[in-house]
Amino acid sequence: MSRFEDLLDMFEERPLAIATHGLERRFGRQTALAGLDLRVPEGAVYLLVGPNGAGKTTTLNCLLDLVPADRGRIEIFGLPVPERGPEARAQIGVVPDDPKTGYDGVAVERLFAYHARFYPSWDEAYARRLANALEVPTDRRFDKLSKGQARRAQLVLALAHRPRLLLLDEPTDGLDPLARDLALGLLADHLAAAPTTVLISTHLPYEVEGLADHLGVLRGGRLVTQLDRTALDRRLHRLLFQVPDGWSPPPALEEVVLRREGGGRELAWTLWGERDDLEALVQASGATLRAAEHPTLEQACRVLLALEDR
Amino acid sequence: MLITVDPADPRPLYVQIMDEIRRALVLGSLEPEEPLPSVRQLAAKLRLNPNTVQQAYRELEREGVVYVRRGLGTFAASREIDDGAERRQLAEAVAERALLDAHRNGLSADELVDTLRRLADDRGHDITPREGGRAAATRSLPTTKRGEP
Repeated sequence: MSRFEDLLDMFEERPLAIATHGLERRFGRQTALAGLDLRVPEGAVYLLVGPNGAGKTTTLNCLLDLVPADRGRIEIFGLPVPERGPEARAQIGVVPDDPKTGYDGVAVERLFAYHARFYPSWDEAYARRLANALEVPTDRRFDKLSKGQARRAQLVLALAHRPRLLLLDEPTDGLDPLARDLALGLLADHLAAAPTTVLISTHLPYEVEGLADHLGVLRGGRLVTQLDRTALDRRLHRLLFQVPDGWSPPPALEEVVLRREGGGRELAWTLWGERDDLEALVQASGATLRAAEHPTLEQACRVLLALEDR
Repeated sequence: MLITVDPADPRPLYVQIMDEIRRALVLGSLEPEEPLPSVRQLAAKLRLNPNTVQQAYRELEREGVVYVRRGLGTFAASREIDDGAERRQLAEAVAERALLDAHRNGLSADELVDTLRRLADDRGHDITPREGGRAAATRSLPTTKRGEP
């Protein structure tokens, strides 16, 4: 992957909320994590994407010390996990992959009270406000909630103690479009009210298009991309151009193509590099540049997920 | 005041917010000395990262379009001499989008300008959006104008 080595940024200059170093984890013969170097800067809203089975949930479970790593190190706000796991976990709010685990038969209200005792920073008024806005039936038993209700209740539990770090695993899964939109609005409001770092895993990148400012692409248990949005916007471009008959791309252009669309005389290529350099390459090849677009986060995810290992 | 942003728009989100504030000033839906929504309100409403809204407000402040009163929020500036800077910048942004779109469609700047002039003359002062664009507008020409019984 030498051509694309700047797809991976380790944010060495910045204070980190999460740092993992060469994290490995196997389940029997299955490799879930194969040397994960996840770096989430403080204050980032970090979108973690990857195909099913890429290791997203295992990553979050390792950070929470629910699954021990076979090898490698984890630091959360500089605290080594698992050695100082409890201190780290006290600063984390979680919406877990399966929102219905572990709370059989307890009324939502009691669950809130239970959480309040664990977290000194629990804000009861805020919890009520969130539960109200998200229409969480607090008098019902947790195990009787629908999937969407349980997810919304988990969101309240995660936000109401105003943690420094939020780990959100498919936070909008099972929510109807209205509830999704509402949840995203509450999340944006939460971020504006208090500095929070967010690691969010979702299959629906367009939902966090406006919120996410960092992107990590996980494949086969390791990161193939880790960038902040500014770097992504600066280097990822979709150029539309017209080519004469018999045109063949110069090798320098061929080297940096991530995705090819169009055919014949009109092409749209998604390319990696500084925009001026790319435009110069296209024009020098005898092609006529028609438009330069910068892909949305959703499009960027699609391109980077499809990127073959080279 | 209405502020909308579109992730698919080629302009970065913070630039879109800046252009929307300029648009509101030109339209008069935001007047000098009126407060802008707080960063928190706008971020929550648009489902945006608060830093993006903050960045837009900071740039607008740098350009003198808005100013910050400590503890009170951000306000639209009243310019001593209305030099039409907002109008000019907004017009340039709109023109640039049209130019790029023309080029994307293989049309020259002259063709675009000539056509714009002709269309504007045809329509006179009745420049309101029409459903379905040009084809629908042509079809509806012999009938009554929108809004009339």
